[in-house]
Amino acid sequence: MITEMTSASGPATGETAPRPRIELEGVGKAFRVDGETLPVLEDVSLSVSAGEFVSLIGPSGCGKSTLLNIIAGLEEPTHGEIRFDGRLSSGRPGAVGYMHQKDLLLPWRTVLDNAILGLEIQGVGRAEARRRALDMAEQFGLKGFEHSYPHLLSGGMRQRAAFLRTALANQEIILLDEPFGALDALTRANMQEWLLERWESWGKTVVLVTHDVDEALLLSDRVYVLTPRPARLKTVLNVHLPRPRSYEMITDDAFVRMKAELLSSLRTEGEGTG
Amino acid sequence: MVVKWAAPGAIILLALAAWEVGVRLLQVERWLLPSPSAIGAELVESRELLLRHTLVTLEEVVIGFGLALIVGIAAAMAIAYSRIVERAAYPFVIASQTIPIIAIAPLLLVWIGYGIWPKVIVVVLISFFPIVVNMVDGLKSVDPDMLNMMRSLGAGRRQIFTKVQVPSSLPFLFSGVRVAIALSVIGAVIGEWVGSSAGLGYLMTRSAPQFLTERVFAAIFILSVMGVTLFALVVLAERLALPWNQWERRARALEKL
Repeated sequence: MITEMTSASGPATGETAPRPRIELEGVGKAFRVDGETLPVLEDVSLSVSAGEFVSLIGPSGCGKSTLLNIIAGLEEPTHGEIRFDGRLSSGRPGAVGYMHQKDLLLPWRTVLDNAILGLEIQGVGRAEARRRALDMAEQFGLKGFEHSYPHLLSGGMRQRAAFLRTALANQEIILLDEPFGALDALTRANMQEWLLERWESWGKTVVLVTHDVDEALLLSDRVYVLTPRPARLKTVLNVHLPRPRSYEMITDDAFVRMKAELLSSLRTEGEGTG
Repeated sequence: MVVKWAAPGAIILLALAAWEVGVRLLQVERWLLPSPSAIGAELVESRELLLRHTLVTLEEVVIGFGLALIVGIAAAMAIAYSRIVERAAYPFVIASQTIPIIAIAPLLLVWIGYGIWPKVIVVVLISFFPIVVNMVDGLKSVDPDMLNMMRSLGAGRRQIFTKVQVPSSLPFLFSGVRVAIALSVIGAVIGEWVGSSAGLGYLMTRSAPQFLTERVFAAIFILSVMGVTLFALVVLAERLALPWNQWERRARALEKL
């Protein structure tokens, strides 16, 4: 209570500068393996404003997913603090939406009934939940497949169904853990463009984990580069590309320059471990 | 379909023909090894007797298996849901299988007496184990990412259990049920051997000392038909109850191509 009040009345900026939606301060995580301490994350501090799209990029196995798990409340950090809108995180999952590389659709439920899972858990009646899902099915490219079972859907459609499930749960923060990682290149490009369009009208705060540099640049307002394990923040890159964005931008000069910068940042890290 | 059954059909026919010819050529005594045709004749001649005893055994199997299903599913859910129950009960579930059922059966007779219940209990004891073990495995083998997905949607333990764990354990449950139904028939016969006045097991123990060997074989034949039929019913029930499991399996097979 007191800390909130002092911080609100502290800086002269006052109401015009609200607290960031997500704030990580000195977050670290270490696992104990065979009696030895294995650090996975070290001293990660970052903040994401409401409605921002931020990417975390780094070598595979560097601890990016652990970081998302901590933000989602699925794992406890060993050090540091997480605040949402200035309030200390309760550490309980449910407040933050999480989308995985796997679609994790339940094979015994239709697309529609998979999509309403979050609403069902929140206690919304089935009929009402289905109605809301049906309203959104078209935006998610699932029109005509609402009553199909997941096994009939292509990889891209399954992932869109999982997106619809995440969207309907209507959490303010959405974490995406390589959501297109399992898709082929063409489908991935389509999905990136589709997500771009969705997000621009959606207004959610998104944190994306990826190791695809193009994807990070195309979608994000800001890209954080992480070091190999233990993951630390290495570089921050603000992506000054105009919105709305389109896939064609990946050949723009500005895009290519930023891509070179990110790649070199990633590569020096690779050499460091090799 | 025709092709699928042609091979086992041909093997059975060949074996029966060899048996028939062998018995006739070597002039094996009827009480030692009756020919398939003699067993067939016995099935027809004694059909009323056989039917009466078949129904007794079938009743024991159905009641015992039904109880095993209820007890097994309830036990599996309790074990998978609660650590405390798991620690307290699971060792006993496993230990129960190290006691030879055939050793308990006479005790049941002493405690409960004749009638249907000692046999039903033997059936339950023998068939609930595969149900419990398989379903516990199923309830526990859910993809951890799936559990995290549910948690991030705000689901509590109960919702995760009912919406994800229980449905995804059903294919495992059916694997256990397939084993259990086959064991149920054996359990009923063991129960009848130990002490009874009706049932196919009783008929066999009574017919053998009288050298009514073709009747023993007729009873064996009926028991195997009963086992196969019940097994087929379980497979059918699985297909009807879990169509998604077939789709998933087919989708996975296609991915490998």
